[in-house]
Order: sequence, then C-alpha cells, then structure tokens
Amino acid sequence: MNFDLDQEHLDLADGARDFLSASASPAAARSALDEGAGVRPGRAELIKSGYATITIPESAGGGGGTVLQLAVVAEQAGRVLAGPSLVNFARAAVLLENDPDRLAGLADGSLAVAVIDDHDPVLDAIGADTFLTLRDGTLVCGPGRVTARRPVDATRGLGDVTLGETTDLVRDARPRWAKAERVGRTILAAEGLGAASRLLGMGVGYAKERHTFGRPIGSYQAVKHMLVDVYVAVEQLRSLVWWAAWAADRAPGELPLAAAAAKAAAATTLELAAETVIQVHGGIGYTWEHDAHLYWRRAKTDRFLLGDDVAAFDEVARLAMGEAAR
Amino acid sequence: MDFDDTPDEAAWRAEVRSFLDRHPSAPEQPRAWQAILYDAGFVGVTWPVEAGGRGGTPMQQAIVDQETARHGLPPLINLIGIGMCGPTVIVHGSDSQKQRYLKRLLRADDLWCQLFSEPSAGSDLAALRTRAVRDGDGWRISGQKVWTTLAHLADFGILLTRTDPDVPKHRGLTMFVVDMKAPGVTVRPLRQMNGDAHFNEVFFDDVRIPDEERLGDVGDGWRVALTTLMSERLSLGGGGTSIGPKPEAVARHVAAHIGALPEDRQVLARQELGRGYVAALGARYTGYRQLSKLSRGELPGPEASAGKLSGTRSARDLTDLAVRVLGPDAATADAAWQDMQALLPGMAIAGGSDQVLRNIIGERVLGLPAEPRADKGVTFRESIR
Repeated sequence: MNFDLDQEHLDLADGARDFLSASASPAAARSALDEGAGVRPGRAELIKSGYATITIPESAGGGGGTVLQLAVVAEQAGRVLAGPSLVNFARAAVLLENDPDRLAGLADGSLAVAVIDDHDPVLDAIGADTFLTLRDGTLVCGPGRVTARRPVDATRGLGDVTLGETTDLVRDARPRWAKAERVGRTILAAEGLGAASRLLGMGVGYAKERHTFGRPIGSYQAVKHMLVDVYVAVEQLRSLVWWAAWAADRAPGELPLAAAAAKAAAATTLELAAETVIQVHGGIGYTWEHDAHLYWRRAKTDRFLLGDDVAAFDEVARLAMGEAAR
Repeated sequence: MDFDDTPDEAAWRAEVRSFLDRHPSAPEQPRAWQAILYDAGFVGVTWPVEAGGRGGTPMQQAIVDQETARHGLPPLINLIGIGMCGPTVIVHGSDSQKQRYLKRLLRADDLWCQLFSEPSAGSDLAALRTRAVRDGDGWRISGQKVWTTLAHLADFGILLTRTDPDVPKHRGLTMFVVDMKAPGVTVRPLRQMNGDAHFNEVFFDDVRIPDEERLGDVGDGWRVALTTLMSERLSLGGGGTSIGPKPEAVARHVAAHIGALPEDRQVLARQELGRGYVAALGARYTGYRQLSKLSRGELPGPEASAGKLSGTRSARDLTDLAVRVLGPDAATADAAWQDMQALLPGMAIAGGSDQVLRNIIGERVLGLPAEPRADKGVTFRESIR
C-alpha cells in the first residue's frame, strides 16, 4: 500500500495552482457577487488549460486521465474559489462515455454542459447551453432556459432551468447516473478540501500576528484548539477525498461508501472551517472586504449540492449496515 | 498511490495468514502466545535484526496486526514493552542492556512497564518528583509513580527520575531500567471506573539501582523520554489502528437492533452512525497516510497526535450509539458495549489528554505560539515553592 500522492500528482498540483491562482481569486468571487461579473477563470479558459477535460478520453480530445488527477486539480480550484466547477465536467464525462460526438463537444467547448438533479440547485446552470438529466431511468439531453436568482455564492452559477425538447440518450441509465454522481461528489469534496485548507491557512496566519492582552491570540487555547479541530478535520477530509478518487479509478466496489463519506465530510469540514475562521478574525472577519465570507458562502451553498450532508450521512449509515437502498 | 498490497506485501500477508491458519486459537497464557508468535518471526517486525527483530517495515507490522485481528486472535500482552520501552532501549541503551533485555522482551519472557506519570506530573510530565540520588556505584530511588499500566505483572520498567532539582525542570532528569522485583518496590493496583484494574500505583522506597542500569546520560532523561513518547504517539491511534471498537462492528450491531426502534429514532440513529463512521474512516485513512510515510523511512511526527485525538472521539460517539440502540434496558444490562463505554474516557486521557494533544498539534504542526509557561527559566526547586 502506498497512500500518498505520486510525484506526477504533485507536479500536476503545482501547475494547476500556478494557473488557477493567476486566473481566479477571492477578489474575483467578490466582484461576481458585487457587480454580477462572470466567474473566473471561466469555462473557455478552463477548457483551454486542459484541466477541465482531464477525465475525457484522448480519442474525444480530452486528457485521458484519472479521477485522482482531476481531484488534485479540483483542490487547487477550491483554494481560489475558481469557477465554473470541475464537477459538471467530471459527471458529464461519465454520463457521455458512449457518446463520442457529445464527448468531443464537451472537450472542445462547443457544448457547455450542466447536470440537473431532482431537487438540488443546478450547479453552473448559468453559462450552460446543454443539460443532462435522468427521467424515469433514462438519461436525456436537451437545451434549456436559465433563470438566475440572487445567489448566496456567485461562483457556483446556480440557476433554475426550464428544459426544452430533450433527446433520449441511454435507457436504463441508473447505474451510470449513480456512478457519475459519485464521481461528482468526489470532485466536489476535493474543491471543498482546497477551500477548507485555504481557510485554515488564513486563520493560522492571523492567529500568529494578532495580539490581544499582550499575547498573540494563537497562544490562547481557546483560539488554538478551535484551529486544531479544523486542521484535524481538513486532514481527514484529504484522506477521504484521495480514497474516493482512487476508488473511482481502481475499486468501483468501494466508491459508493467512499464518495458519500467524502461528500459528507466536505460539507461539515468546510462549514466548520469557515465559521471558525470568521470567529478567529473577530469583527474584521465579518466585513465585506475580508475573504472569509466568500468561503463561508461557498460552504453554505456546497452543502446542498449533490445531496446535502444529512442525506450523505444517511447513505453512509445504510451502506455500512449493508442495506443501501439506492 | 495504490491501496493494494505490493507483491512483497502480498507475499508477507500470505506467510502471516498461513501461519495463523495453523494456529486458530491462542493458548490461555498470554506470555505463551507471544512466545509462539515471536518464534515464528511475527513480533517486533520493525525492530532491527540485531535487537532480535525482523528489520521489516511498518507496513509489514500493520499486516500482522490486521491478520491477527481478522483471525480473532488476541493482541500481545507486552505491547507497552514492544511499542515504547524496547524502542527506547534500542536508541539509548548500552550494548549489555540490549543483550540482556530486548530478545526476552519480544518473547514475553519479561514483561515491561513505563514508569513516567506521578500524582502531580501528568500532562506536565517534566514536573515529576521521584528522586534518584548517587550512592557509591549506583543510585537510590525514592518517590511514587501512578497510572502505571501492567506494573503488577511487569518484570522491568523504564523509570524517569529527577537527579538534579537545581536546574530547570527538563534538564535535571535521568532515565533508568528498574527491576520491578527489587527490594523497596511496592505495586498497588488501582481500580478503574469500569471495574477492572489494569494500572497501578508504584512506590519506590530507597530502591537501589546500579549505575549500569542508567539509560542515557545523567541529566539527559528528557531526551530519552521523548523517544518513548514519540513511539507511544504512534502506537496509540497511529497507522490506521482503531481505538475502541471497529466501526464495522458498531454498524453490524446497530443493523441488528435498529429495526426495533420507532421510525424517528431510526432516522437519528442512522445520522449518528453516519457521522461516527465517517469520522472513524477519516481517522483510519489518515493513519494509512502516516503508515505510508513511515514505510518510506520518515519519522513519526507530531501530526500523529491527531489520530489519537480524533480516534478516541469517534470511538466514544460510536460506542454511545451502540449502547443507545439497546434502549433503556442498557442502563441495567450486563452488556459488553457498556464495558467498552466505561473504558473510553480513560483512553481520552492516557498518552496525552485531548487538550494537551491539541496544544502539541497547534504548536508543533500549525506553528502557533506556545502557551505561556510560569516555570520557564527557573530551577525545578524554585518552581515548586
């Protein structure tokens, strides 16, 4: 067993970090919220970089890579609140795996795909022109009309979608749909990991500098222990994300439990990190200018995507008891 | 990244499995079981060959642990000796100490204990008062230790003492190997809240220890103790081993009882199982990451404390759930889960309380500023006034 990233993954993370931190940032997330500006780096740039299309086969113009590689990139995207999310690319690559034409459209950017779930908000509906959904067990595809609402987190591109005329793509598509959802949960959790670990860095940095009653606040157990709890949660989330991504590539039998665990842990960890870091900063952490609320918004939004944490914990319990109903 | 066994690991697992298949049950006598396993080459796997070990990897040791657990065989009796005392002797002991003690420790010919904590020195271990005074070619020891696991059975112990009260507290300590059968050593078992008596008070009344039983230099005891504590950190909740019950066992137990609960209670029980299970998996896989690092030759770092911190928490949550699904009868039932529940508050204290572990992680991993220390820069004698 070697449960650690290989050098190839570390190099990929470095490259993605450079690209994403040069093209996206919390400041961009703030202006998306303030002025309704588009998300950064944006769909076209993400496709051009090759990062969004890692899991699309080479024959369709993608990178022919693994879910683990995409997860490594997604962590870096989460750190800077990049948009659009890599989740739809990951899900669509699974859903369209026997559809070379549409897959090629996804890879070259001529199709801007979003996936519609039953009750959840539609991630990156804004900017999408092609929608995939499951209807009575059949995978369908079609155009749609998108209505934006006032978003809590403007980087998630949430909108209501009214589907136009759809084409049936695959009958009896439930197993494939479930796999795509689990891969999507894994990538969503990887983005949450990046966001939570950036928050931790912010909180630790401030706790070292800010002095109160003649001491740095990080020397007080009341502050130190809160940050340690975030650290422990972030490291455990990292382990669960890597496990889920590895399972998606190599151990399909473990993916349902691993993806549900990663999804649930990401929802609770990102929320813990955001709430804690605002508390550590005091009043300054509650201002519009500070980055903390942009991550807090991400936490409050992401927890509802691909099933909320309550649903994910329930699924973990059912799987653990060996009676998963899905 | 690859979770599967490497070819070498798979061969090792097959070797362990085939041995255990031939020994489906352990003898009544726990020392005898450890001797059988040692003679087969499965005790002290990571210890150097010259110390009586196999010179193997932490991953090989983890495979032995996994397979013995899978076969339902008991853990070794001399775990404190193997995990903490022995590694300290390997690093700081003289050649003759290594010759005398190590192989016998691995075979459980001798059992060992770790004599560190005192009534007024728990988390602040360096505040200990047990004194060692020069006496010809040896030392005389007086004082009291407490919470000493296995002292009532042990043949030897590693003993941390104060040899100089007139220097700052960390600098005046010296470590010894003590013969637990020596005149002047009195062991008194302490009954725990779960009713068992696994640990003890130990009194030293003018106990004589020859100087050749010193472990490391005079005044260098803190550095020697750090070797022990690093090993302890890893053997408690490191490397993916579970603290308390295995989450899979709790899930099976909940599955067997959840049907009898009202619907709203079932929903709650599943939420609690999900939360506890995710936390336990997170701790387990984080332990696997440490194990991977150790197998590449990296040393156990302070981040290993996180496994013990989160492991005891999720063990308590899951065990509480296991008791709760039994319903009100659990309050009077003579149930194994109740016993487990009564054991876990102690696990959250042993080897570092939750609060001390958080300080270690906060200061050594996150680099946060240290707690202010009122006894900094003063001699031990001044600090206890």
